[in-house]
Amino acid sequence: MIMIRKMFLIAVFSVGILAFTGKGTAFAVSAEENYKFYCTQCHGMDGKGEGANAKPKVVGIDLPEMSVTPRNHTSPEDMNKLTDIDIENAISGGGAAVSKSTIMPPWGKTLTEAEIKDLTAYLRKLCKCKGK
Amino acid sequence: MNVSKVGQLMASLSLTVFVVVFSWNISYADGKGIFASKNCGSCHQIQGPAAEKTFEDQQKKKGPELWYAGSKFKKEWLGEWLANPTAIRLLKYNSVTEKNTEKHPALSKKEADEVADYLMMLTAKEVPVGAVTEAVNPQGKNMFQKKYGCVGCHSIKAGAQKVGGVSGPDLSDAGKRLKGDWVYAYLKEPKVFKPVKRMPIFVSIINDNEMKTLAGFVAAQK
Ligand code: HEC
Ligand code: HEC
Ligand code: HEC
Repeated sequence: MIMIRKMFLIAVFSVGILAFTGKGTAFAVSAEENYKFYCTQCHGMDGKGEGANAKPKVVGIDLPEMSVTPRNHTSPEDMNKLTDIDIENAISGGGAAVSKSTIMPPWGKTLTEAEIKDLTAYLRKLCKCKGK
Repeated sequence: MNVSKVGQLMASLSLTVFVVVFSWNISYADGKGIFASKNCGSCHQIQGPAAEKTFEDQQKKKGPELWYAGSKFKKEWLGEWLANPTAIRLLKYNSVTEKNTEKHPALSKKEADEVADYLMMLTAKEVPVGAVTEAVNPQGKNMFQKKYGCVGCHSIKAGAQKVGGVSGPDLSDAGKRLKGDWVYAYLKEPKVFKPVKRMPIFVSIINDNEMKTLAGFVAAQK
């Protein structure tokens, strides 16, 4: 009896540990939903780089603009400068990983690799461009 | 001292203890009663653990969780804020496009103190008490503003000016509001306190020592 309880506890524990250490969203989400939830804060609802954090005055809050402009994801000129790998690295490691501003945060512990690849494809749709 | 004197002393001592414990309990119970009668629970979760798993679960919430309020808030601030609430989140709860113009329900000063007594009882074992030294420090400032870009989503004071993003709670006076130990636990155990949120997970990006220094910096902003 005690043995069974012990084993049960160990099982519950390991599931718990897995649930806590497993990175990425534990539920299936489309790239568009991830973009809306996370990226729009800075890149804006339309991806043009004018989210509330970038331009607080646009939403009526009296704070200065962000010191760096978030990339305009709809601009083929800007987005063509990046390869798909560049984009994945920027999303995963943030600006620090690609010698850009650290105001672009790292999402590698928040999103799974698959989600980051999906987001990269989504950005290619926004810019209607293939990259270099 | 004879036996009856000792007895008297004991009796009055235990009476004092009884009265103190009893009246404190009344205050606690009153706070709980006020919380229920004002329907605060319709917007705030007071029983852990965190239940939200999807974006939708989070979007359905009408206010921040309070089930670890006693570990998170400084009591004095809590009593004052509940009587005289001002915006903490500059954007409307769960929105990234609309300014927060909502008036939070206010309590009388007496009710506010009683509710604060009650909320301070709600603690989380994941918060290591005494782990963090609350102090303005140049390393913390550098991490917040430059190294880890917290300032992209949170406003903070920079000299006389306020700078930073608006999608995360205003941290310019976080030191009045938040306990450093909780800020550290929040960074270290993101899934315990807020499994679904717009803030990135920084575990294993920011190391443990840095997290403590950063948390101490945040909790010293006044
Ligand atoms: C806190 C604000 C913020 C958030 C949130 C944010 N970004 Fe950024 N992002 C920036 C800024 C600022 C830049 C520009 C950095 C620079 O030019 O130095 C940027 C740049 C980028 C770039 C271009 C990188 C390069 O090498 O030129 C990509 C791609 C990108 N972001 C994708 C995303 C995605 C996808 C998300 C959501 C998962 C996201 N960003 C969330 C602020 C943000
Ligand atoms: C209609 C929903 C609603 C009701 C009812 C409500 N609150 Fe709130 N509460 C909120 C929202 C939204 C916020 C966030 C406000 C902000 O950030 O400016 C909040 C913030 C708080 C905070 C600060 C939490 C934090 O993490 O910053 C406390 C404490 C609090 N409420 C207590 C109460 C109490 C006590 C009552 C009952 C008297 C109550 N609330 C009633 C929606 C509600
Ligand atoms: C991409 C935006 C973003 C970045 C970058 C970010 N945060 Fe946050 N942060 C948020 C949001 C949004 C919340 C509110 C989460 C919720 O309760 O829904 C939050 C909540 C918090 C809280 C809890 C505040 C409260 O009152 O509940 C603390 C403390 C905090 N962040 C500190 C930091 C620190 C330190 C950094 C840098 C290492 C950081 N944040 C980077 C968006 C961000």
